[in-house]
Amino acid sequence: MLVATYDLWAFVSENRDELLDGLLNTLKVSGFAIVGAFFIGGVLGAARAHRIPVVSQLTAAYVEVVRNTPILVQIFMIFYALPQFGLVFDQFTVAWLSVMIWGGAFNSENFRAGFQAVSYRYREAAHALGFGPLATFLNITLPIGGRIALPSSINTYISVLKNTSLMYVIGYAELTTTSLNISNLTLQTMESLTVLAVTYLALVWTLSASIRLLESRLALPESR
Amino acid sequence: MPDWVEPVARYILQEGLPGTLRVSAIAVLGSALIGILFGTLMTIRFLPLQALIRLYIEVFRGLPILVTVFIVYFGLPSVSRQFEFGPLTGASIALVLWGSAQVAEATRGAVQSIPHEQHEAASALGFGWVGRHSFVVLPQALRRLLPPFVSLLVNIIQNSTLAQVIGGLEVLEAGERQNERLTAIPPIGLGEIHAFEIFGGVAVLFFLISFPLTRLAAVLEKRLI
Repeated sequence: MLVATYDLWAFVSENRDELLDGLLNTLKVSGFAIVGAFFIGGVLGAARAHRIPVVSQLTAAYVEVVRNTPILVQIFMIFYALPQFGLVFDQFTVAWLSVMIWGGAFNSENFRAGFQAVSYRYREAAHALGFGPLATFLNITLPIGGRIALPSSINTYISVLKNTSLMYVIGYAELTTTSLNISNLTLQTMESLTVLAVTYLALVWTLSASIRLLESRLALPESR
Repeated sequence: MPDWVEPVARYILQEGLPGTLRVSAIAVLGSALIGILFGTLMTIRFLPLQALIRLYIEVFRGLPILVTVFIVYFGLPSVSRQFEFGPLTGASIALVLWGSAQVAEATRGAVQSIPHEQHEAASALGFGWVGRHSFVVLPQALRRLLPPFVSLLVNIIQNSTLAQVIGGLEVLEAGERQNERLTAIPPIGLGEIHAFEIFGGVAVLFFLISFPLTRLAAVLEKRLI
């Protein structure tokens, strides 16, 4: 019988390169998805806040579909169902695409709320100064509303990062898949789970701390 | 409708749906009980207790739920044989750990939002700490907790699909098994791919359950605050 011993250091040092690659892939997928979710959220959030016809309704439908179906089912749809129509993506693409679609939906709600929280007075003032609609958005609504939306959008990015662990189901070698695959060979289950828990908590807690820091730094002068 | 649809739909609804409902029910009840208890205890000014519950909240909210599922399902059995669970139970426990952390945080806020006079009035009437909280403070706090609680229910129902990853028979796993069966070469299967229809159907099923609940949460949020 195998004697259970716990040697975290041996696990980490013997598999350092694989684990680092896994972490790098997690960060790469998260980074891609977060940048994408930022733009999707900003553009669609603005469309929703300004009630732009058609785009606004389509966005609402997109948000409801993403919010009311499990992300795991969304990943299965992209990975197993789309190839039926000749849309075959590799695992890396499925990984960032699925969490980007998920994050973009939640982020468009964050930005919509942020843009809508910008007082109408500011936009009227811009209008009186001769700003067109686009100039008003870029100079008034975006900087103020973006700051209001920032904390909640970072929360969404944190969830995006955590959701990359789901790429285990498609076998993409990010951190969770890598660490568990190693432990399947070496039976070092506890070591593997420790590495996962510690790494994810370190990443998530750092990002959460940055929210608190940014919140106080970027708070609007009148709400201080 | 093609011939393959009926048995697939029946399998998903008869074998899969009960699994999803079981995991969700256990997770919601467990999260509510533990979360409300921890959240209320956190309002006691006793630093070691507060720090301990804060750690619990931050750990289980910070970990990806899938990692918590793996810790419960793969990690606990290697600590002791008595912690060996089936996939559905394992997923339920993981969801309770995550959900109770969410509820605890919300409860703490809700209890602290009840004006201090309520505590004092209850004390004046002779209630002890337990009576004060169970008869005066918590009933008022629960009203404020209702909207986040409905959102949590939606999240738990959707995250019950994580049981699929460890092989628990719930809706997504039922769909996945049927997908594999149909894909197999005859005579075992049909040799046809119907992944889009099957997983699309699973998505629609979840949407039909979740959408009324998210609407309800939005309505409650407007009416109760």
